[in-house]
Amino acid sequence: MSEERAWHPRRAGPFVANRVLLVLLAAALMGVVLLPFAAMAPNRLMSGQGVNVAVALLPWQWLSLAGLAMVLALCTLARPFPSRLARWLTLIIAPLWLLLALYGLGDYAFRTLQDASPAARVSQGAAFWILVFCPVLMIIDAFQRLGSGLAVRGFYTAALVAMVGALFASGIFDGLSIMQEYANNRDTFAAEFLTHLRLVGLALGPALLVGLPLGLLARRSPSARGPLFGVLNFFQTIPSIALFALLVAPLSALGEALPWLKALGVGGIGAAPAIIALIMYSLLPIVRNTYAGFAGVPATTIEAARGMGMTARQILWRVEVPLALPVILSGLRIVTVQAIGLTVVAALIGAGGLGSFIFQGLGQYAIDLVMLGAVPTIALAVVADFLLQILVSLSKPAGTR
Amino acid sequence: MIELQGLTKIYGDKTVVDDISLRVDSGEFGVLIGPSGCGKSTTLRMINRLIPATHGRILLGDDDVTQLPVEQLRRRIGYAIQSIGLFPHWSVAENIAVVPGLLKWPKSRIDERVDELMGLFHLDVGELRDKYPHQLSGGQAQRVGVARALAADPEVLLMDEPFGAVDPLTREVLQDELLRVHQHTRKTIVFVTHDMDEALKLASRIALLNTGRLVQYDRPIELLTRPADDFVRSFIGKADLGLKLLSRRWVHQYQQHATLQGSPAASTQAGYTWEVDATGRPTCLHGGRLHAEDRQQHTEVTQEWSATPDMTMKEALSRMVWFRVMVLPVIDGEGRLIGEVTMHGVMGQQPCA
Repeated sequence: MSEERAWHPRRAGPFVANRVLLVLLAAALMGVVLLPFAAMAPNRLMSGQGVNVAVALLPWQWLSLAGLAMVLALCTLARPFPSRLARWLTLIIAPLWLLLALYGLGDYAFRTLQDASPAARVSQGAAFWILVFCPVLMIIDAFQRLGSGLAVRGFYTAALVAMVGALFASGIFDGLSIMQEYANNRDTFAAEFLTHLRLVGLALGPALLVGLPLGLLARRSPSARGPLFGVLNFFQTIPSIALFALLVAPLSALGEALPWLKALGVGGIGAAPAIIALIMYSLLPIVRNTYAGFAGVPATTIEAARGMGMTARQILWRVEVPLALPVILSGLRIVTVQAIGLTVVAALIGAGGLGSFIFQGLGQYAIDLVMLGAVPTIALAVVADFLLQILVSLSKPAGTR
Repeated sequence: MIELQGLTKIYGDKTVVDDISLRVDSGEFGVLIGPSGCGKSTTLRMINRLIPATHGRILLGDDDVTQLPVEQLRRRIGYAIQSIGLFPHWSVAENIAVVPGLLKWPKSRIDERVDELMGLFHLDVGELRDKYPHQLSGGQAQRVGVARALAADPEVLLMDEPFGAVDPLTREVLQDELLRVHQHTRKTIVFVTHDMDEALKLASRIALLNTGRLVQYDRPIELLTRPADDFVRSFIGKADLGLKLLSRRWVHQYQQHATLQGSPAASTQAGYTWEVDATGRPTCLHGGRLHAEDRQQHTEVTQEWSATPDMTMKEALSRMVWFRVMVLPVIDGEGRLIGEVTMHGVMGQQPCA
């Protein structure tokens, strides 16, 4: 396929057609052979005994995994499949692999716990994570090689998420330790999850409100640019825990001095310092990308707009903003993912959020409770990243897409 | 009509444009030319006030441009620039429609105007209307840029090296098109370039600038034959002065009577005769080569080996040299023989006349 050759100038040799897929497959197989797929522990605080994939899974399950792996292996080669077919096959087999790994783990937990003590726990092992992440990377790689449009990727991802969601809904994972932790914390989980989202939202809103005009200011006024980026860069260099801690004293003093502020919830600990710190961290990427977005609008385009008789406001809204928007939104994408992660640390100063499970779990040495905080945080970041990526693509002007 | 009166631009202590006064009458094609940094672009940009003038006045018709609200002024003046400056996020039609849109024309009138202008510039409406700038060739993008500048039927068109970024072949075609459009619309044009050949081809008047001063403002032929000083002479370039002059002369000025084969004068004249068919189209020439022993003593008339009355003598001469024939048939729109131009004719007439 000559057009694809043009897309991928560094094509692999005639025998191996897709080195990325080969590496991922090899990594997955090595991980599965060498690392435990699940861990079985007598109770939630003891560390578990690793269980190999061949032991944990029923024969039909690991034989299916092996069979799918063989087809994937053929997909890495130049023959027998044409490259396009190989990519589509990867897009069918990789999710099957993923779903089978998920189902297998849940099924193993279910079977094992039937005749074990009530305190016994089954949790996921390293090989399980490898079996989850490798297919995801294979899917991303296949889409990149196919050059598929946004609609196809979006639909595919939605379908995959729906299938994983259906697995969860079926209750197949209820035996797993992390799900037991979830069951124990069912009430607080929803609340902390919402708190996490609220903290991110309350930080991003003001950060955008302040950051976008500052970015434009940096573009318009070269003399303001230096000091502005200096200050924002300085914020960025303060470690997050230190920044949270630094804010405690002044905010509690402020809360004491102004009772109405205290009534609003402003104090040394809690949401207020967390939100302020998150805003400070979010400003630099927003301002920098807004500046870069506006700076990237060709000077000749703006001169033409002036020469045509557009007013300054018309130039801003009709020419500069549409052309700068993709870059500005990529800044938003960066800070959203960053804020979702940083909000975890905010739990340390009593702001709540998913981080509270992580720190509770660390305190109790209950790894599955840590997982209950960590896995949803990661999922949230991945989903936000994906959605904003779609938004960035959509914001690209039709002429430049 | 555009008139500059004592126009001056000073940046700090540097005088970029120094007391320039000139006038481009309605329907004229004025070209500002000079070496880099001579202030030609600055002068142009002061006309639509992209750069404010330090001193002096600019009249657009009867209006002093500084008295008009700046956006309104710019909507009355078409503006085309070198890098085209098309809006990358808008289609061809949307780009052309910018100024009519700003002037709040009704949509139907804008659509009509876009189609009309695309037709004028030989841009295929069906194919290109909804294309985006990055999908266009350099020549197409440049045509869209000029069409956009003309969209709201401005009184004046300002062009800042509009063909600077295209290849020489496309450039030639665009120049011909601009001349055609100029003849068709009779717009007043002020055109900036640093290319003397381009200026000679397009201008009805050339303003030569150096270090911010106007050195000479004249018709092209006067610039060539009566240069004001040594700078003008050196800027024009002496090497191909003869050819440059011929680029401002036209075939109809040198056209002579052609002798047909079989006519009574045939035997007594210069020793070559034209053969024409029943409709008066020339088919071939007998004789006319420099050396009688040249084997091919009759030359087939073709599109390449013929001239039209509005062709420049430079091109006619070039065709004679290429085909090694001392004479070239002049044909009219229907292809009929209406005369001839000869090497003797070129050499025998004062080019300055």
